[in-house]
Amino acid sequence: MNYFIKRVLEIIPVLFIISFIVFVLVFVAGDPVALLLPEDAPEEAVETLRTSLGLDDPFYVQYGRYVVNMLQGDFGDSFRYGQDAMSLVLERLPATLELAIASILVAIMIAIPLGIWSSTKKNSSIDLVATGAAVLGKAMPNFWLGIMLILLFSVTLDMLPVSGRGSFSHLILPAITLGTGIAAEMTRLIRSSMLETLSQDYIRTAKSKGLRTGIVVYKHAFRNTLVPVVTIIALQTSTLIGGTLITETVFAWPGIGQLLIQAVNTRDMAIVQACVMVIAFFVIVMNLIADLLYQVLDPRIRYK
Amino acid sequence: MGKKLWLFGLLMLALLIFVACSDKDSEGDAEDTNPGKAETGDENDRTLTIAIGADMVTFDVHDHINTSTEAIHVNMFNYLVKRDNETGEIVPDLAESFENIDDYTWEFKLKEGVTFHNGDELTSADVKYSLERVAYGEELRDYTNYNQIKEVEIIDDYTFRIITHEPEPVLLNRISRIASGILPSKYIEENGFDHFLENPIGTGPFQFVEWVRDDRIVFEVYDDYFGGKNPDWDKLVFRIIPENSTRVSELLTGGVDIAVNVPPADWERVENHEGTYLAQETSNRTLMIFLRSTEGYPTSDQRVREALDLAIDNGAIVESLLGGAGVPTITRVAPGNFGFAEHLYDTYNYDPERAKELLEEAGYPDGFEMTFHSPRGRYLQDAEIAEMVAGMWAQIGVTANIEFMEWSNFVELRNAKENKDAYLLGLGNSMFDAANALDYYSATRFEGETDYRNDELEELLAAAMSNMDPKERSEQYVRAQEIIAEDVAHIVLHQESINIGVSERINYTPTMDEMIYVETITKK
Amino acid sequence: MPDSLPMQNNLVKNSKWKRWLKLLLRSKTGTVGLLIVLTIVFVAIFAPWLAPYEHSVIDPLNTHKPPFWMEGGDMANVLGTDNLGRDILSRIIYGSQVSLLVGISSVVLAGVIGVLVGLFAGYFGGFLDAFFMRLADSFLAIPNILLALVMLGVFGPGLMTLILVLGVTNWVQYARIIRGEVLSIKERDFVRAAKTIGVKNRNIIFSHLYPNVISSFIVVATLSVASTIILESSLSFLGLGIQPPQVSWGTILSDGRDYLATSWWLATFPGLAITIAVLGIIFLGDWLRDVMDPRSVK
Repeated sequence: MNYFIKRVLEIIPVLFIISFIVFVLVFVAGDPVALLLPEDAPEEAVETLRTSLGLDDPFYVQYGRYVVNMLQGDFGDSFRYGQDAMSLVLERLPATLELAIASILVAIMIAIPLGIWSSTKKNSSIDLVATGAAVLGKAMPNFWLGIMLILLFSVTLDMLPVSGRGSFSHLILPAITLGTGIAAEMTRLIRSSMLETLSQDYIRTAKSKGLRTGIVVYKHAFRNTLVPVVTIIALQTSTLIGGTLITETVFAWPGIGQLLIQAVNTRDMAIVQACVMVIAFFVIVMNLIADLLYQVLDPRIRYK
Repeated sequence: MGKKLWLFGLLMLALLIFVACSDKDSEGDAEDTNPGKAETGDENDRTLTIAIGADMVTFDVHDHINTSTEAIHVNMFNYLVKRDNETGEIVPDLAESFENIDDYTWEFKLKEGVTFHNGDELTSADVKYSLERVAYGEELRDYTNYNQIKEVEIIDDYTFRIITHEPEPVLLNRISRIASGILPSKYIEENGFDHFLENPIGTGPFQFVEWVRDDRIVFEVYDDYFGGKNPDWDKLVFRIIPENSTRVSELLTGGVDIAVNVPPADWERVENHEGTYLAQETSNRTLMIFLRSTEGYPTSDQRVREALDLAIDNGAIVESLLGGAGVPTITRVAPGNFGFAEHLYDTYNYDPERAKELLEEAGYPDGFEMTFHSPRGRYLQDAEIAEMVAGMWAQIGVTANIEFMEWSNFVELRNAKENKDAYLLGLGNSMFDAANALDYYSATRFEGETDYRNDELEELLAAAMSNMDPKERSEQYVRAQEIIAEDVAHIVLHQESINIGVSERINYTPTMDEMIYVETITKK
Repeated sequence: MPDSLPMQNNLVKNSKWKRWLKLLLRSKTGTVGLLIVLTIVFVAIFAPWLAPYEHSVIDPLNTHKPPFWMEGGDMANVLGTDNLGRDILSRIIYGSQVSLLVGISSVVLAGVIGVLVGLFAGYFGGFLDAFFMRLADSFLAIPNILLALVMLGVFGPGLMTLILVLGVTNWVQYARIIRGEVLSIKERDFVRAAKTIGVKNRNIIFSHLYPNVISSFIVVATLSVASTIILESSLSFLGLGIQPPQVSWGTILSDGRDYLATSWWLATFPGLAITIAVLGIIFLGDWLRDVMDPRSVK
């Protein structure tokens, strides 16, 4: 258990470093006053607003204030919406999580069969096709794939809704778009972990005893796909959340990604900061959970 | 161990369902807020869904100067008077009548029995509050278009006078555009402006329900609207769909009834598709290239500016990039605007040979290199136009390095006056008067940004500004446009078109002011 | 004796190449990957000779011309023209230059930062190690594209900024891997021996540790070029990619996306170019991983 306490404690400096990085970026970005006022606002109005926003203070004062507020979960108000930035971000979080989880499920559904299939026929043409198919999802830029899926399944075949969030059917296309991207890594890890298992003695023994290959593979080796799946989910959380930026824009999915892109475009830095912190925190937590799951799934892994 | 995989899968599924459900609770009935094509029946039938490209800015009518935000606002707020899009005349809206008392004073009478969405009756106090807020509020973005107003004087509950600092020939145009919406003064005083921003009310045909940022803005019909309850629509939804192809796809599959800003590539598709049609109208927005006349820039030489203008084949741009929609022009003042100069409209100067000669005369026989800033995704085909213009300039030996800028960076660049040789800008004119359009050529306003100055023009503009004789004022503006065209102060490219995809189940004709008046949208 | 040395070297080299070739041919994916990568590099280097036209020349009278096999197309523009009348084949050929340039230089930059951090943090340990690893954790917790989006939003788009930003956002994976390798190697006998006889730290790092970790680096770097190409196209989609007149696959694809339903060739060919390139690089990288990583299963 000590290991986990240590891991949890490590989160604190990490979050501080992230807050610093983001703050520096926002500081460098310059002040948003120009965008808040009319084009030909008088100089005094600009100064008054600057002072009232505390933008005249030196760097360390601004950073100090920022950290103190951040610890209370307060990232200030969005310039664009005049609302508390954090609550705007949290409002959008469920939509993004829904999409992310659905994408992971899609990835699992693609990766497990492909991974196992390719490992049983190592270096054959089947392997090439299976690995190729898995990698294809990663090799296609998300927005391109998304638009093509819309054209095919919504416009031409009229099977699924185009965009927005609501029913289950709204979820399918964006989840496929995003899920195929992570399926590649997952397939690769499953394949190599399968190969490792298949070459191990007890499998050979099982085979030599005359058990049919199919049974050997599915009964003994299958469970070993769990560890890579968990690993990938943890490692790819960050990629996954990153991918939602693009996917949400294509599918007009009302999640964090769209909010963030608009915020960057309009220099709404309170939202940018809140978004980055929330996403980073989420990624860190996912990694912690993965660590926990390892222990449950694979008794061979023991932490000091 | 195999069981654990299933456990794990179940866990993930449970999480998914949990997330999906927990969110539905917070949003209310999710199906209700999602007009997908799966839904049919009466409710959907009486819901109008409009897909727009970018979210609105705010409900603070005085602080956005954003046409597409106003296009939404016009459905929940009213102006005192409005411009009739067919005749171009200013007609009463909230006001019942208006009268010019003297050069400085207009008297208005309000319609009686107009109510805000909370039931409060509209009175002169609301008008005073609304107009004076923007006339005195230096920090508000539309301040400069209203600070000509000195005071709103209340005579009685339904009668008031607007008094201006100087004689104001365009007062009626001024108060029939962005930021002219009348706000509920009592409601705001009681609850505070922040409360108003979250729960806005107006006098319009539709009342606010919810605004999910970057997703949708929902309105419902207002039963007691003074113009009569809207017969066709119970519910009005603006969906924000930033990606062009997604917006068009939604229209084609029936997910939305109207899709704005359909790119030229999809016009044929929308027109030919069964169930949709393309509605087009010429906009009051003109695309221009602002040039630096500042000492030290090649473009400070009139001959260079003229050469750059002559090098551009405006007709080719309109034909190949804009699908033939859009009108090449030499002036920014379009038909329908006061002060329109017909001989400068629907024409353009193109003569690359002469352009080369002019460059040589100006001392640039081998051309020169310049920086060309352009926004991207802001105007119809803006990036493509910038690239094509640069390509045309290359033909006369001028190398234009394009820098595409994201909109807020572009605004900052202009505010800081860090713009280089040229930039692309599209300007609308919600006042429909040359006064607004030609102010862009006054020397003081663009000092340090374009530094264009022509003393004769300055005098003309100043004289026209407070000239109460319409005929003379019009002549002054026509002459002003001739001077500007001779000087090639800016390169004027073309008047934009409005291109909207519409479902066959409704009638919709876009208007030149780029507003979306739901009242004019009817079921077939 | 001195005469025979180069000979021997040649022999060693020869047999080394043969060994690699044999290893390569054993893997179908590896062979395909290498062929694809070599082709792209060749195209990028000889782009000015291979491309039929200059990539940025517009032709208002010749827009949306379909590929040669379709009605209205001809051999003058083999893959058709785009919305400004530019030859798509030429743009894709020239685009390979920038795409590869961005991919490779940002990976090199990230690699230099990451390898240095990894070597020093792993070798010296202690506070230095703890600090850099927390820094690494921080960068890992922020999705690459998000950091790139914010940074490009702040500094403005452009080729150099893009390379810098992608370099700075990607160093972490190298640092972590190299550090891990260093941690395991530094306990081995030859490093210990070097320490005991008083070899300087710097020399140990660069002459003993570095050669031993470089193979891990190459594998990760190869795969990273692939993800950078994808990332570049995503940033183009968000309007923060390469600026014209420069052209990359990402910008062609992103510019063409509005025409997927009408003039499909605008976005399909650059999309295919990206997909094939990334596929090839990943195949090659996976194969390198299999051969270079002694722990991987043969």
